[in-house]
Amino acid sequence: MRSSKRNNEITRMNLKKKIALAFLIAFAGIQFIQPVHNKSGQVLTTDISKLVSIPDSVQVVLKNACYDCHSNNTNYPWYSNIQPMGWLLANHIKEGKAVLNFSKFGNYSSRKQLSKLTGIANSIKDDNMPLSSYKWMHKKARLTKDEKTLIINWVQQSKDSLSAKKLH
Amino acid sequence: MKKIIFGITISAIAFTACNSDKSKSDINQNNMTKDTSTARSQTNDTTAVIKEAKATVSIKEIVNNYLQLKNVFTKDNSTDAATAGTTLEAAFTNFDNTSLAADQKKTFEDIADDAREHAEHIGKNGGNIAHQREHFEMLSKDMYDLVKAFGGGQVLYKDFCPMYNKGKGAFWISETKEIKNPYLGKDMPTCGVVKETMK
Repeated sequence: MRSSKRNNEITRMNLKKKIALAFLIAFAGIQFIQPVHNKSGQVLTTDISKLVSIPDSVQVVLKNACYDCHSNNTNYPWYSNIQPMGWLLANHIKEGKAVLNFSKFGNYSSRKQLSKLTGIANSIKDDNMPLSSYKWMHKKARLTKDEKTLIINWVQQSKDSLSAKKLH
Repeated sequence: MKKIIFGITISAIAFTACNSDKSKSDINQNNMTKDTSTARSQTNDTTAVIKEAKATVSIKEIVNNYLQLKNVFTKDNSTDAATAGTTLEAAFTNFDNTSLAADQKKTFEDIADDAREHAEHIGKNGGNIAHQREHFEMLSKDMYDLVKAFGGGQVLYKDFCPMYNKGKGAFWISETKEIKNPYLGKDMPTCGVVKETMK
């Protein structure tokens, strides 16, 4: 009786070990599936910097808080090389770029450019962006009040300059 | 030995799962492009006879969908606004542009491209009426340009509320002369003035 109980325990242990090992192997296996990195390394002619002037102070904030998901150049964190984190990031970046891509800003119609800029100011104002999950891992993306004002003012200037261009 | 085989199977499953996912979405995309192309060829057949009438009806339909959205906003109903937003988005997508001249098509596409996105955002943000209204403001600008370019098929009013967005103000398009504010809703239902009558 006692020995059969022990046998049971042993088989249960074995099963646990097997499952753990299976997970380990699966984990090792998925490391081979690396998503393509979002890094073009060049400034396209459609880049927003070719359309409106971006002061250095603004550029720093955009780079720290926006470009990772909204441009063709992501600054990857170390954990992006570990799956499934890398997949998760790739998916976020894909979604982010679909809504707004600063690298291809020039491809938007002038109407849409103005809309996108308004949307940027609104989402900063309402604290919808940067996403809290992103801010959690990126300290520099937690914008201060001054940085928010800086971006909102820059958006207004950019809108004015773009609308002036549209009229001429 | 068993363990190793088991492990390999698991990782194999992981591999194939990813691959099949990708091919699935590819197939979906193919289907979608197929669908739109057949839909387009069908409309091509039917519109030849009633060219101009059809285009105004469709613009009018878009305008009516917008007005419906506007009326829901006056009642502060975020969920209904989301539904109306999705309907409007579909109206823009299904608009039949075959009767438009090349430059008109371009004007329409320019407006629709932007407006569609605002409608989509309104559709996806049920429960966040403040955010929906931000997009409604931008959408209203597009709608004004649309009505100016193509006509609304009815008498429309351009109304302005100076109080929205901390005194920056915003306008909207209405089918009634009486002011019913879609931005402030029940808080300030009569805030606003008629700026322009469009016939």
